[in-house]
Amino acid sequence: MIWKFRPLAGSLAFVCLCASAAAEATPLTPEEMAGAARTDGLSIPMPGEFMASLNKLGKIDWSSKFRIPIGTSYTSRPQMALNLGGLIADGYIAIEAQDQQQVKNIGRDVLTLAKALGVSKDVLERSGSIANFAEKNQWDQLKEEMEATQNEVKQSMAEAKDQDLVTLVTVGGWLRGVEVISGQIGAHYTETGGKLLRQPGVAQFLNQHLDRLPDKTKDDASVKMVRKKMADIGTLIAFPIDKAPTVDEVKQLNKLVADTLKDISKKQK
Amino acid sequence: MKRLFLTLAVCTLSAAGALHAATDGEVAARRTALDIAGAFTNDGFKLRDGYWAGDFAPGKPKILQVNLYAGNQYYFTVGATPPAKKVLITVYDETGKPVPGEPFQDTSVAATGFSPDNSGIFFVKVEVVDGAAADFCLVYSYK
Repeated sequence: MIWKFRPLAGSLAFVCLCASAAAEATPLTPEEMAGAARTDGLSIPMPGEFMASLNKLGKIDWSSKFRIPIGTSYTSRPQMALNLGGLIADGYIAIEAQDQQQVKNIGRDVLTLAKALGVSKDVLERSGSIANFAEKNQWDQLKEEMEATQNEVKQSMAEAKDQDLVTLVTVGGWLRGVEVISGQIGAHYTETGGKLLRQPGVAQFLNQHLDRLPDKTKDDASVKMVRKKMADIGTLIAFPIDKAPTVDEVKQLNKLVADTLKDISKKQK
Repeated sequence: MKRLFLTLAVCTLSAAGALHAATDGEVAARRTALDIAGAFTNDGFKLRDGYWAGDFAPGKPKILQVNLYAGNQYYFTVGATPPAKKVLITVYDETGKPVPGEPFQDTSVAATGFSPDNSGIFFVKVEVVDGAAADFCLVYSYK
């Protein structure tokens, strides 16, 4: 395939290593695997990757995956961050469904929560382009814009020393993705589909980051609840590589994640 | 579309992957990686808006854990600064066994493509096989 790209890659001359490098490589040691870097930016899949794999199982009615709009007026910053992540995942779903109005509505809600969390003005202005792309039905560009905006929101939070919020945005988005995908697979079960839910590394990564949150953040009611549920969710998606979860197990996962998201979106008393 | 993305990717340096100030070397390595990875977008691959950057040296490879989905096709691309004369990228499954792929290499840039049979954890190793210590940047594309 690389030869097709050769003219496109300018003057760089690729050298195809005809013999697979994998055949020459020695296996990694347990120490090397344990010491591998794990980053929010590349170790955690974006919702778009998850959706791309799901789209290969058959045509999906993405508009049926919309949820009742959640509130945007929370008093707790950790809860805002969790819901912001979920809303961003909603944005990916609206883009897959190619629903202009839904994209605009979600974009507005994302903006409201991001502002409340103090995300920088530059990023907020950038997110305005999401509505413009939706107006023009530029769905491919919109996917890229959504991903870039998501990363910029996290970058802005990290620069503001709000690393704990970055973790919570990631957790919220991932949960919403798992809810949608486990719902789809539960309703149209195949073993191949069930195996897509296997993400032991993601759950482990997110749980480790949740454990490292400052005590003040961990005391937040929404974070306490998420940490408790994430432990169970982690167990359900860490099934053996050669064994697909049963349809009942997929439905159990879906219910657990859906309940978690409902609790996250409830206003704290 | 590709131009739009590359402009955004290179100019904004916005990816959460780094979440730290990029050095000049990392920026240069990223540009090298994107030159190649950008070509894959013409074949329907979507370049992920994120990267992993740092420095490596001969005999001191760097390894990143990623989580991939069965059914998707992936291309991992590493770019490095000139002190690295030849770099290599290898993907391993969760047991540490090398995964057969389509490897390509040209001086300070290398790529490898593959389609996982199972969803789960994979490891990506980048290394300098000829040359001296350099900055690197890893990106990946999927479809």
